[in-house]
This record gives sequence, C-alpha cells and structure tokens, in this order.
Amino acid sequence: MIYDEPKFLPGGDRYVLVEFGNEMNLELNFTAQGLATKIEEQKTKGIVETAPCFASMLVHYEPNDISFDDVVKELKALIADLGPTDNIELSSRIFYFETLYLDPWTKECIDDYSAKITEKEYDPDFVARINGLEDRHQLVRVHSGTEYWVASLGFWPGLPFLQPLDPRSKITAPKYNPPRTWTPQGAIGMGGSASSIYPVQTPGGYQLFGRTPVPIWDTEKRFDAFGGEIVLFRPGDRLKYVPCTLEEYEHTEARIKDGTYVYNMVDYQKFSVRNYKSWVKTINADDRF
Amino acid sequence: MLEIIKPGLETSIQDYPGRIGYWNQGFPPSGAMDNWSFRLANLLVGNDVGAPGLEAQYMGPTIKFGADAVIALTGADMMSKLDGEAVPNWESIPVKAGQTLVMGPAIKGARGYLAVAGGIDAPHWLGSASTFHKASVGGLDGHAIQAGQALPVKTGIGGTPGRRVKEANRPELSTTKEWIVEAVRGPNDDWIDEAAHKQFADTKWKLSARSDRTGYRLEGPDWTFTEKATNKLPENGDFPSNILDQGYPLGAINLGGQTPIILVNDGPSMGGFICPYTVPSVGFWKLGQAKPNEHLVFDIVSVDEAQSRRRAMDAQCSENSLENA
Repeated sequence: MIYDEPKFLPGGDRYVLVEFGNEMNLELNFTAQGLATKIEEQKTKGIVETAPCFASMLVHYEPNDISFDDVVKELKALIADLGPTDNIELSSRIFYFETLYLDPWTKECIDDYSAKITEKEYDPDFVARINGLEDRHQLVRVHSGTEYWVASLGFWPGLPFLQPLDPRSKITAPKYNPPRTWTPQGAIGMGGSASSIYPVQTPGGYQLFGRTPVPIWDTEKRFDAFGGEIVLFRPGDRLKYVPCTLEEYEHTEARIKDGTYVYNMVDYQKFSVRNYKSWVKTINADDRF
Repeated sequence: MLEIIKPGLETSIQDYPGRIGYWNQGFPPSGAMDNWSFRLANLLVGNDVGAPGLEAQYMGPTIKFGADAVIALTGADMMSKLDGEAVPNWESIPVKAGQTLVMGPAIKGARGYLAVAGGIDAPHWLGSASTFHKASVGGLDGHAIQAGQALPVKTGIGGTPGRRVKEANRPELSTTKEWIVEAVRGPNDDWIDEAAHKQFADTKWKLSARSDRTGYRLEGPDWTFTEKATNKLPENGDFPSNILDQGYPLGAINLGGQTPIILVNDGPSMGGFICPYTVPSVGFWKLGQAKPNEHLVFDIVSVDEAQSRRRAMDAQCSENSLENA
C-alpha cells in the first residue's frame, strides 16, 4: 500500500528512514526521488545526504546541526511542498547500451555454477518458463523491449536497481540459492522484479541472460559520461538495452579498451510522472513483445 | 616517507570521517573504525583530527622511517617497539630517520592507530583517502598496504613530541572480553516481537570470526517476529526478515535470515533485510576494538541519549584532552 502519511523511522543518532509505502510501486520511488531533488535544491541545513530506494528514502543528518524532530518537521514540509506525485518532474538522462543476450560468458558462469555448486536450468530458459514466455528468445524481446528506470544504486558501489517502465516487460525471478561465487563484469540479470548490471566481477544471486561491454564503473575516469565520478548512473537515469551481435559487442569492447568509445546518452529530457502514468493507462501489460 | 617492511594483518590508510556524500551511489564512508582513538592520534602530532593515518588490525606492521618524524600510537595496545625499545601508546614521540617501528599483536583491543605529523599523503578518491579495498578505492592503490611500499608523508607540520592524552580522556578498552555497545530501536523495530526485543537486550552476543570492516556477524539465539514480518506482500521476499529493498543506516543491525550483522564502515548502502536496531556513532569505537569471539551486550538508548553521548565523545577529541608528558 501507499501510506496516507509517510513514516519517519529513526536509524541510530544520525539517520531517518522515510517510508512512503510497502509495495513495489514506481510511484513511491518517484516520490522519494522528488524529495531527494527538493532537499538538494533547498540545501536544507543539517541534511548531509539522501539515498532513495524503491519505496523509501534514507536521510543522513548531522545531529549537531539539526535535531531528529526538526529533520522530520523539515521533511514533512518538503513533502507537502512536493504536492501530488503527478506533479513531479525529474531530470532524466537516457543511456543506450549494446547488449549481447544469451552470451557465451554468462553461459559459462551458469555452467560452472551447475557443475560445482548445484545443478540448475539455464537461466534464460528458467526465467522464460516461470514467466509464461514461449522461450529464451521471447525473454530477450520482453527484457529489451522497455526503458529501465534507475530506482536506486547500492549493495555494491554503482550497481543500479532497475525497474522496467513498460508494463509489458514486467517479469520476476527468484535469486540463486545459494548465491554464485563469481559473476562476469557487465553481466545483466534480475532478481525479484529488479534488473541490474554487475559493475565488476563479484559474487551474486541474480538470474543471468546477457552481457554488456559498456562500463558503469571506471576508477580511471576515462569517459566524459561519468562526469568525473567513478560511477556512471544516478537515481532517475534511464537505460535501454540494445541487442547486438557478437561482432558488434567485440567492436564496442575494442573501442572501450582504446578509450575511443562514445557513450550513447541523451540528456535534455524531464520525466513527467503525470505523462508517464497516463501513457501506462493505455498499455495492456499482457501484450508481451 | 614510511617504508613498509611488513604489512601486518590488513593495515590500511584511513581518515575521518571518511567518504561522505556518496551513499546514493553505493559508496560506504569507510574511515577509521575507532575514530575516537584515531582523532586523538592526529591531535597528538598536531594534525587535523581527520588527517590520513594507518589503521592496523589484530597484528600491526613493521615500518622503517625515511626521515625524522613525530608519531603517535593510539587504540589497541600492540606492544609497539622502536628499534627494540618499548614505546608508549597515547603519546607523541620523536622518530629519527632510519629507525624501525614494530607494531605487534593487539593484546588489548583490536585496532591500533598510527598518526604521523603531516599525515600520510595519499590521493583523495571522492573526497577521502580512506581505503575501501572491496572496490579497490582509496589508500595508495585501492588496497591494504603491502611490504615494500613507501607511504609519502605530507610536509609542513613538524609536530611536538612529549604530548600525551590524559588518562581520563582515553577510550577505556575492555579487558573482560565483553563490550557494552549502544543500540537505538529502529528503523524496523516493529517487525520483531516483544520477546525478541527482550532477548536482544538480555543476550551476550558472540562476535563471529566471519566479521570484517563490512559487517560484524553476531551469534546468538533465533529471532521471533510480528505479523508484519510473516504476513506481507510477496515483493517483500520469502523470509520473515526480508523487506522491500531499503537504504541501510550505517551501524544498522541487519537481520539476514536469523543472523544479525552490524553494518560497519565498509558496509552495503541498501538491501532487502530488516534492521530492528542501529548502533549509533558513539558505539563504533567499541566495535572497532572488539575481537572475534568476544561478546557484545547492547545498551538500548533513545535517539536523544545517543546524540548526547556522541557529543560527549566528540568533546574528548580536542586539545583539552592533551597534557605534557
């Protein structure tokens, strides 16, 4: 549900968790991001930083500058000032990533897990089956059919938690149990309703079905799209996976290696919650791609 | 320049308060775990409280000095010796070029701190020199220090030898293998039932050997839950302690299945488990000094009380705490 009034939950001496609801509903994330933007604009005294998540937002404050009660008071005022969610407009960049679906590297990783840890069905077949899709090829069409919304980043620095904006691309998948000991960098997969990209080679638990050569993590800061940061994405960015061939994948990979790769990114759009919601109303989620 | 002869067991460059402002990109603050001892070490040698220094855990490093320096050791007692002579903790001491400092095993506490006048000259990554080695960020090269490395020292601050932290202003390291650590209820305290709350406060939790700067695993009894945890929407996950992914406060006592894990300086910024309690800032120095297999007992305090204790701790980290030896 979406709460009538957000809950303000204390986290020790310097955090407040603002909970807007308890369901997976993009509207709650739009509210969290709208509030985060507002706090940044107003430079509210004593608020150090915010971290929006699916249905909540963590606020880090400096207790020497502001009390818990006053943080809550400030947040309530800012939320009132935000008005209805429909009015929220968020700056939103969109990125296009070359993606090789059903790639050999995640297959090798899945095979390795099957051989060494516990036998399992090939992830793309498994995810297709439990979501009632024809086969792995329809999974690719469905997964690549939508823009994804960067709801938040975390767990690992730069790891985006992505939600499909198009209801026709909504799918779910359980996480690995037990988790994998390794996942290739750039692997694309999903767990629960969230999709993600592995920024570096790490352990993991998402079902895997593709890989992108495009870095989302670069300690050498070689690409302008990062804006001087180590991490590519910000909450409120959008991402579209563009299926490519192995040859295209390797071409992109080579350009990344020699530093000549140009990120395909567009940065002039505002994401209007009202426009988005009225578009969603026209879509039949059962019309799978 | 500090030449590393032996690195010790994961000795890393840290500063205070660490890498702040990047939680929404998933970066933890890192930084010194016992920041009370760390700040005092810097004050002793005339640095700003936050200047980069070394954090040694369990077993300290062996370091040869390339130039004259003023240093201070604080935190865990690592039976440190300079050219074979015992050197005191909590005091600024002069070191001559060519001398060798051997920091040994931590016999009291777990983490020892070394500050050098001027501070270690490490590059800043996102505003901090602190090492976050899981993501290869910070320090000299993203990792704990290695044998053969030379750590540059910033010049400009000479430091005054013979300064000492007054006895009363030092953190009191436990000698009983038991630590009383503050905890504040929330953010998800209504997911566990009253019996679990009582049990949390009454239990001596054993600090697991599988603990590091990311998380402190605690061993103890199983938890019991309220209706909120057992009767919820499927997107919250399968286990009672699963919740829709949320941001984690630093210090959160995060319930992964039945195992509580305190998320400390290098911890994750978000995830899908409930956090019924949070260790406030004032409890962190104790976590930094507790060793695996020692016990933690939680002192449940209000937000106000946690904040006032933090102010009291911060007041200790000032010039007023120093005297001439």
